[in-house]
Amino acid sequence: MTPQADLGIFAISVAAGLIGALAGVGGGILVIPALTIGFGVDIHLAIGASIVSVIATSSGAAAAYVRDRMTDMRVGMFLELATTTGAVCGALLAAVVAPAFLYVLLGVVLLGSAGIQVSRMGEETPPTVSTSGLATRLRLASSYPDRKLGREVPYSAQRIPLGFALMWIAGVVSGLLGIGSGVLKVIAMDGAMRLPMKVSSATSNFMIGVTAAASAGIYLGRGDVDPQIAAPVALGVLTGALIGARFLQHISNRSVRLIFLPVLIAVGVETIGRGLGFGI
Amino acid sequence: MTPERFREMVSGVLIVGVVVSAAFIAVGFVAALAVGWQGSLLGAATATSATTDFSNLPGRLATLEPAAIAQLGLVTLLATPVARVAASVVGFALEGDRLYTAITTAVLLILLTSILVLR
Repeated sequence: MTPQADLGIFAISVAAGLIGALAGVGGGILVIPALTIGFGVDIHLAIGASIVSVIATSSGAAAAYVRDRMTDMRVGMFLELATTTGAVCGALLAAVVAPAFLYVLLGVVLLGSAGIQVSRMGEETPPTVSTSGLATRLRLASSYPDRKLGREVPYSAQRIPLGFALMWIAGVVSGLLGIGSGVLKVIAMDGAMRLPMKVSSATSNFMIGVTAAASAGIYLGRGDVDPQIAAPVALGVLTGALIGARFLQHISNRSVRLIFLPVLIAVGVETIGRGLGFGI
Repeated sequence: MTPERFREMVSGVLIVGVVVSAAFIAVGFVAALAVGWQGSLLGAATATSATTDFSNLPGRLATLEPAAIAQLGLVTLLATPVARVAASVVGFALEGDRLYTAITTAVLLILLTSILVLR
């Protein structure tokens, strides 16, 4: 690969990481279309590079959230049983399905993520609910410090089997497409298990790195992690995500997301078009 | 171990892992910009193996191949979540939480199987 191409991949990865962070979807889901459609990279190598960058960004973010007590490590570890097994299935499946299917699925996940971001804007603490027997036995009830409300907010996981099943699916999608599947993980936790939004996002980030490692190991062993692509992508997405996180401290999430949603929709449509064989 | 210490430990593993791996990847990437992905910082004979081949890493690191330096960073990055889970096994064990020591050990085994066995 020429130095120009190396720097081009780095630059587009910074953009993907930045836009992903601002839009709330992570960088992997944008970097794969950018690499395949923009640079003609083989989709399997793009997925291999993306999954590695996902480990970097999620681990960096998780380190901060764990310290702030926003992450529920028991909920995370318990659900990682589901996401890692799902990710292994996804990574094994990715080798045998047609690339066209991967493009279409990636586009659908992109559009779905954009739609979910619109529908969930401005949600707050869910009403406190009673603790079930299973939540007690699995110790999936705790509390977190809410700075805005200025108090500890208690919570308890509901509908645990449903959450576990959704997490397995999130793992499959992550392993199959080389993305973090953060949006799906958050749906499983705050939608199905009724965990507070802030705990769900932090715990999702905590889980993404481990989920990604489960499939990244398979991609690496298979020869799909090429440093020529994975190195600039990992560095670029990490840089973009760090810049994005700094931006977000100063501006409201909602307005930023609205600005970047059209980007997600455009990339999603383009990716589906690619999968269905339409020229660009 | 107190929950605070546990959190500090897990957070520390993640930060060190990301910083160290990003540093290796960055050095490898910049070196590749200078001498090419098939080159070597020692000016030795150019590498013949594909950059996707992670075997014989120590030998290729000794000749300062950019690809090998980046690969070391990528392997360190992959090892970071594994180290985080391993640290969690120790943390839950020291807290005396048997159920979560078992759950975390199971996750660690799944990770090791996927990395070392599955292709």
